[in-house]
Amino acid sequence: MEKSELLNYFQEPLFISSLSTTTRDAALDELVRCFVNAGMVRNRNIVSEMLRRREALGSTGIGYGIAIPHGRSTAVPDVMIAFGRSDKGIDWEAMDGKPVHLIFLVLAPPQEQNNRYLPILGGLVEVLSDGRQREKLRKIKSFTDLTTLLQS
Amino acid sequence: MADRIKTQIEFLVALQDLDLMRKEIAEVRELGFEVTGEGEQTIDTARQELIAKIKKPLLVNYERLRARYKRAIVPVKGDTCLGCFCRLPTSLITHGRSDMEVLSCENCGRILYWLD
Repeated sequence: MEKSELLNYFQEPLFISSLSTTTRDAALDELVRCFVNAGMVRNRNIVSEMLRRREALGSTGIGYGIAIPHGRSTAVPDVMIAFGRSDKGIDWEAMDGKPVHLIFLVLAPPQEQNNRYLPILGGLVEVLSDGRQREKLRKIKSFTDLTTLLQS
Repeated sequence: MADRIKTQIEFLVALQDLDLMRKEIAEVRELGFEVTGEGEQTIDTARQELIAKIKKPLLVNYERLRARYKRAIVPVKGDTCLGCFCRLPTSLITHGRSDMEVLSCENCGRILYWLD
């Protein structure tokens, strides 16, 4: 999936320029709360529970200060990505043991017409494997900065 | 961990989410995500914990529907069952939103979960 295509799955209510939480579980909750506040997910507990269980399988911290927590849930109506940045960094038990500064939470329903979930995950991994993109993402302050970066 | 989930329908939704996760382990592993060997065991243990909290007739119905349709629980959107796309009767809609009852689509039999 092209970088610019990923843009379709980001929304301003699902953007947190500076997470207030400092632990993995709390950060997941903070991001899930964005979905609930935006009226995109009704039951926060079910989604948070699913994400915690996913983390128990193996950390979604892929290294280089990035985590891409993800999962399908019956409680999710459509594929969406929330973004959160942490200045201090969060211990995510990442592959390289480094704290996580950039979090992309990908939620999807059990089945979707165009099966976009895995291409989105793959697209994110591809974009974030570029060191220059990661550096730029670490510096963004607003949703506009994020969209500009993904369009460039 | 499951303390925050309270009702039978929520337990069923969590169970279906686990079953989805189990199915997708191989796919996300291919993308480079870490899923440990114990991961599948973790899911099985979590599954057993959830099953213990679900009433037996509901569980039997869930497994029966899962064998038939792949997805036993389907969302309701715009008063429509997203399993068979039939419009639901008003009486069912009024009860369903509370999450206190487990309701099924009168047309296809799938268990219904209200998204809004």
